[in-house]
This record gives sequence, structure tokens and C-alpha cells, in this order.
Amino acid sequence: MTFFSALLAADAAKAAPHAAPAASGAADGHGPLADIMHLFGSFGVDLPHLIVQLVNFSILAFIVYRFAVKPALGQMEERNRLIEKGLADAQAATQRLAEAQQASDAKLNAASDEAAKILAEARNSAKAAVEAAKAEAQAAQTEVIAKAKAAIEADRVKMLAEVRGEVSRLVVETAAKVLAENLDDATRGRLNEAAVKQLAR
Amino acid sequence: MSAASVRAEAKRLLTLSLEGGAVSSDRVGAVLAALAKSRPAHTLRPLLRAYLANVRRELTRGEARIEHAGPLAAADADAIAAHFSKALGRAVRPVARRNDALLGGFRVRVGDDVTDLSASLRLATLAKSLS
Repeated sequence: MTFFSALLAADAAKAAPHAAPAASGAADGHGPLADIMHLFGSFGVDLPHLIVQLVNFSILAFIVYRFAVKPALGQMEERNRLIEKGLADAQAATQRLAEAQQASDAKLNAASDEAAKILAEARNSAKAAVEAAKAEAQAAQTEVIAKAKAAIEADRVKMLAEVRGEVSRLVVETAAKVLAENLDDATRGRLNEAAVKQLAR
Repeated sequence: MSAASVRAEAKRLLTLSLEGGAVSSDRVGAVLAALAKSRPAHTLRPLLRAYLANVRRELTRGEARIEHAGPLAAADADAIAAHFSKALGRAVRPVARRNDALLGGFRVRVGDDVTDLSASLRLATLAKSLS
């Protein structure tokens, strides 16, 4: 008898008239449960063994769960936690990197602005220094030229005075020589008389 | 004897040597004789030097030293001396000396005062004005 034919036989027994079911079943030792048991038994399934096997399986399942599955789940949770922590750290690091980059960019911009400002100031200072030096040189040049002109003028005046003095001296010396050679006593006497008259006035 | 006292003593001796406002040779001789008797010779040297300088200065004050070019008549010399006697208020006598370097005219010195009416001075003034 196959498993399906046994099940069909059990259904047919349920659908038969209830005239002498209980008495005949009890008297023969047949019934659905007994059939099922008999069926399982034909397959080698024994209830006590099944119960024992279920207990064994439960014990084995408990042991496996307690010493294998649970630690593995714990490790997986720990790994998941570590991974999540790593991801969070990585995200925080990325954020800090972005902030650092932003701060760096800000500092770089500030430094660039400061450098530009310093460069502009340096250029202005250099330009002012050049202008001042140019003005000073111009003033010095003007002063030197004025002094040179004054010195030249002074030399010219001095030279003219010297020439004039020399010419005058020569003229007077020449006149004195001429007078000394040409004046006779009579003329000198008349000059003396004139001087006496001038003194008397 | 200090220099100040020597000068004061020489001045006093000069006062004693004047006669009528002019230096008298007799009085000078008397002063010198009195000095020789009254003081040792080695103390007289500075006093005699100061006295000599005073006498010379006083004699110069009484002279009109006339330097002239060419001949100068005695009347002209007297006229010059008279002019300075009148101007200075004391008697001045003429002392003439010829100096042809003056070219013409004369130069008169009375004491520390000099009056120059020479042609050489005029030429020098001309040269100075031209230069």
C-alpha cells in the first residue's frame, strides 16, 4: 500500500455509514490514527524514536545556536558596528577634510589678499621712494647748478675786478713814471704853491 | 718800579722839561742831571726810555714835517706851519724834506695827524676808484 492509497482509505473510512464504525474499528484495532501510525511505521517512522530525535535535534539546535550561531551573530554585529563606525568616521573625516579644505581655501584667499595688499603697498612705497629720490636729485641738481652759476659769476666778477685793478695800476704807474720824468722843478714849484693855496682854503 | 709808575714818572719829567709849552733843552739837561744824581744808574734805563719817548712825541707835536716834491719856498713852508699852528692852537715850526716820489704837492705830518696834498696820493686814489 502506498502513502496516497492509505490517505484515500482514511478518507473513505470517514465517509462510510456510522453503523458499526466504532465497534468494528475497535474490535479490529483499526482507525485513522492507527492507520497513520501504521503508515508511518511502514516508512520506518517510529513515534518514540521521533520524539527522541526531536529532543536530540532541539539539543543540537540549542548547542549550535548557543556556541556557533550566537557568537557568529555577535561577531557579525560587532563587524557591522565597526563598519558603521568606520563609515561614520570616514564620513566625519570627509566632513573634516571638507572643512579643512574650506578653511585652507579661506586662509589661502586671505593670504592671497594680504599678499596682494602688501605687494600694492610695496609698489606704492617703491614708487614714493623713487619719486622722493627723483625730487631730491632734482633739487640737488638745481642747487649744484645754482652754486656753479654763482661760482662762475663770482669768478667772473673777481677776474674783472682783478683785470680792472691791474689795468688801473698799470695806468697809474705809467702816469707816475711819465710825470716823474717830465715834471721839472718849476712845474713842481707851481704845484706846491697850488697845494699851499688849497690848504689855506 | 712798575711800568705804570715808570710811565707816570716819565710824564712828570716831561712836564718839568717844558718851558712855555715847548720842550726846552736846558730843562731837559737839568732833569737828566738831577736823575743821574738821585738814582742809581741801573734803575734809570726804563725811566729814561719812557722819558725819551715822551720828549720825542712832544717835539713831534711841535713840528710840521713837510715832505715835498720839487722846490718849496721858505714862505710856503712858513705858511703851512702857520696854518697848522692856527688849527691846533699851539706853535708849530716847519721841518721840510724833499721827496720827489710825491710827484707834486706835499705831505704834512704834525704829531699823529697827516695831511696829504700830493699828486701821488691823487693817483693812488684814482687807481683805487678805478679798481
